[in-house]
Amino acid sequence: MSEMIIEPIEKYGLTITADGKNKPLFSKIGVVGAGKEGRNIINMASTAGMEVVFLDESPERNDFVLGEIEKIMDQKISNWGLTQSEKKVIMNRITQTLEYEDFAGCDMVIECTRYTESGRRSTPLRKNIFKKLEEILDADAIIATNGSTVIISELAADLEHKERCVSLYFPVAHPDARILEIVSGMYTSEEVYSKMEIFARLINYKAHRINESNGNVSLRMLATMLNEACQMLLERVCSMEDIEETFTIIYGQRYGIFRMADIIGIERLVTLMEAMFNDFGAKHYKPNPLLWKLYRSNQLGVRTGKGFFIYDENGNPLSPNKSLYN
Amino acid sequence: MKILVLNCGSSSIKYKLFKMESKEVIAQGGIEKIGMKGSFLKLALPDGQKVMLEGEILEHRAGIEYILGVMLSEKYGCIKSLDEIDAVGHRVVHGGERFNSSVLITDEVIEMLNDCIELAPLHNPPNLKGIYAIQELMPETPQVSVFDTAFHQTMPDYAYTYGIPYALYEKYGIRRYGFHGTSHRYVSKRVCDFLGVPYEEQRIITAHIGNGGSVTAIKNGKSIDTSMGMTPVEGLIMGTRSGDLDPGVISYIMEKEHMGTKGITTLLNKFSGVLGISGISSDMREIQAGIVNGNNRAILAMSTYNYRIKKYVGSYAAALGGVDILVFTGGVGENQAVTRSDVCKNMEFMGIELDEELNNSVRAKEVVISKPSSKVKVVIIPTDEELTIARDTLDILQGK
Repeated sequence: MSEMIIEPIEKYGLTITADGKNKPLFSKIGVVGAGKEGRNIINMASTAGMEVVFLDESPERNDFVLGEIEKIMDQKISNWGLTQSEKKVIMNRITQTLEYEDFAGCDMVIECTRYTESGRRSTPLRKNIFKKLEEILDADAIIATNGSTVIISELAADLEHKERCVSLYFPVAHPDARILEIVSGMYTSEEVYSKMEIFARLINYKAHRINESNGNVSLRMLATMLNEACQMLLERVCSMEDIEETFTIIYGQRYGIFRMADIIGIERLVTLMEAMFNDFGAKHYKPNPLLWKLYRSNQLGVRTGKGFFIYDENGNPLSPNKSLYN
Repeated sequence: MKILVLNCGSSSIKYKLFKMESKEVIAQGGIEKIGMKGSFLKLALPDGQKVMLEGEILEHRAGIEYILGVMLSEKYGCIKSLDEIDAVGHRVVHGGERFNSSVLITDEVIEMLNDCIELAPLHNPPNLKGIYAIQELMPETPQVSVFDTAFHQTMPDYAYTYGIPYALYEKYGIRRYGFHGTSHRYVSKRVCDFLGVPYEEQRIITAHIGNGGSVTAIKNGKSIDTSMGMTPVEGLIMGTRSGDLDPGVISYIMEKEHMGTKGITTLLNKFSGVLGISGISSDMREIQAGIVNGNNRAILAMSTYNYRIKKYVGSYAAALGGVDILVFTGGVGENQAVTRSDVCKNMEFMGIELDEELNNSVRAKEVVISKPSSKVKVVIIPTDEELTIARDTLDILQGK
């Protein structure tokens, strides 16, 4: 048998040509900053078949990120949710980089710079990233940020194509919470919003349209209830466990409100609630003293192993954090 | 008269172009890894030369465009214009209860196919993508849809009804449908031609066994029962699918392993069967290699696999009230002598006497492998689903 002939396929297209490929939307996306949320986005997009380029600060950090993403997939494999060969295919779609130039050709880049220990993100840094992205990307590529605070109009303001900016919030409460809050800012165009709806569908999320407002919808509702729950705890109306059960049993939630706060992160909630208090002025947004207590003592929830509850190394709650009452 | 047959999977497209007068295949090949890195189109030229065309193939439409482009090309082509293709036949996995035979594709049929997506969420969407692509690229060419489920629509209600609340059947169409219909239909007809017996008067059991597999009971030319159910997981133990399983086990696993519906579906479809039992592979050739090396789990996988087929043959003999012909087909059925031998062992009581020597010496050709004294004729018939699809397409085109 003669050897196999191998050649490129492009010249056999009827309407497809090598340079003018009919590229479907979101075939390649970028992620700047691969903290926990960035990695989650990389994982979902690559699983949905997209090529993903991510950028972080150093080669070591990038390798760590890839390792963490592999861990997410191995976890899925051990839960019988993925096969080894699927993992290989998905991992093949992920590329690491240290250079913004490698985002060229992306349909969308999501800025996911990490939060500092105090739960804040640097606005000048994010503005700078947006500018750098605009230099590299095609004029119709979307520049998105991941977050729940009012920011997108501010980040977009200095760009030439302001209409391409949009903000996304992926609720982190639990893996089945597949609602994507898509935030339109002052400048966001209708076209960009509809494209984001398609993106949501591709990663198997339902899109909710939000007009830029601090805390979006999911966190704003949570914040006020959390404040009320903390207040009841302070007033010794009932035990923490009973407040949790009110949530899980009476209202059918998967987790109680305190556990939810620990999952989201106390630092995130405190800073967000402060921002909401500044924006809206209503007292019920002001973080409850209990939240401040946790925040100042660096007991920030699941991530630090202590929050309203005490957690083991796998993030499973062991007991309520009794030191709160002292 | 030239007919193109397309089989669009989730990330692959297989194609064959038939010249119907001579039943000759004038072009054939397949695309793999659609939408992934490293996608390619592989084709075999008439002289046997293999060609691999590599490049980005992001979706089915692009894949079909390349297939047509290659057939039109000077270098590897066989036609001068797309008009030379008289019709396109598609393999469609699930036709639900709406389709009991192949149909000409119209807007109304497409709408009905969309309604069937819920029954086969993994398989029907790529089939539809293939239909849309041809509509776009060859708008004047008639298309025919040939269903995997259609042949089994003759099953009586007591064979297709599950023992669960009837309301669920009414609400969601939960019942047994069966698959591989095109293959079971082809080999059961073909075996009658081969043996020179009337199709309408035979009791036939066809075992289509490969990576996926099913057994069908055919009485007087009609499927009366088949081992696959509403989805292809029921019935035989397959390469990676579990086959029949106590439904209680499913909820038990879900609870013990903290698993959701997606996890359990993957477990039963991709981690089970021969792969799951052996821990080696889903490929029977690797299992046989494992058996040679004395691997106990490989031995267990093979015996379990064979035993399940035997059980179905026995129960369908009861359903048919006796058997005249037993057909083996599919990758394993055509090539794996040990499986045929295990299935037929100690079945003399019902008239099956396998010629062991003959069975061991033949593969992948039409041949009777039972002894002349055997009441039941055991026959190997290589399946040809594509040719059946092409023929159906031609019949519909000619208004037969």
